[in-house]
Amino acid sequence: MSPRHEVRNDVRRHRRQLPELTQQALADRVGVTRQTIVSIERGQYNPSVGLALRIASALGVSVEVLFQVDEGQVDE
Amino acid sequence: MNELSLRSLFTSRVALIAGLLVVSGVVLYVLVSKPFLVLIGLGAFGPGIFRELGWLRDQDEFQVQTTRRAGYHAYLTGGLVTVLVLSLMEVRGPLTGDASEWILLVLVVLWMTWLFSSVMAFWGAPRTAARVLSTFGLFWAVFVFTDLISSADIGGDPMGFVLRIAAGCAAVAPFFVPAFTAARWPRATGAGLLVVALALAVLLASGGNLPLATQLLTMTLLLVPFAGSGIALLKTDHPHPGRG
Repeated sequence: MSPRHEVRNDVRRHRRQLPELTQQALADRVGVTRQTIVSIERGQYNPSVGLALRIASALGVSVEVLFQVDEGQVDE
Repeated sequence: MNELSLRSLFTSRVALIAGLLVVSGVVLYVLVSKPFLVLIGLGAFGPGIFRELGWLRDQDEFQVQTTRRAGYHAYLTGGLVTVLVLSLMEVRGPLTGDASEWILLVLVVLWMTWLFSSVMAFWGAPRTAARVLSTFGLFWAVFVFTDLISSADIGGDPMGFVLRIAAGCAAVAPFFVPAFTAARWPRATGAGLLVVALALAVLLASGGNLPLATQLLTMTLLLVPFAGSGIALLKTDHPHPGRG
């Protein structure tokens, strides 16, 4: 039995609070491709600590606000 | 020009050069001489080797992770196919005919698995299915309609020509219809693609007296886009979300 740590993120919600910030604009700011931002927003890719910090900085929030860990689910 | 746009430009140039090497390798391999296969190898494996050596830094972390995961998928599939081919040789005795076709089969399985896995992780199942099917459909349409037009007798039999064009459309429809419906109805499209793959497999397995390696190679090239897209679409949870 091992805990499964699901990482949730609010990147899309925080990005949309900044009207001019498209996925491409955010990607340009943090130095990745737009597809990487798309995958992070969909929850298909968990970024490295460095990239998570850069995204948080670009969105003007702390990384803890942007990314949270669910520890509730447990594998049998 | 900032660092990112330089990297984007560099990535597209690397992809362009690698693509040109692969395409010219295929053309020269088919039309001129088989040793031109080396160009395909340089285009397909060169950029990855340079990246692993640290001489080429043109990908972000998601692209690197995607590529490495695809490499593991290719290792698993390629390894399994190699073992199956070796087992087959033990059962059927030493290889007869052209041994290079068996090696080519393993290479094609390796490369197609890597390519399919990469684009699937990068674009997601619906977009990958749509793009792969459209690309294959386009090649197939060029082949079908070139043959139709070159052998047509429009003035002598206009009705026959129209019927042949309709037959040509029916031949390319299995590519373009699912490419169109993949994003809207992923699961239904996936199931349809698996049916098409199965029908093609039966058709190819019963067709002609080609050597086994050639049959398997043809099946791999034709079936992977249908079967791979079908399985990926069946696993899709929800329709493709809109872009921000």
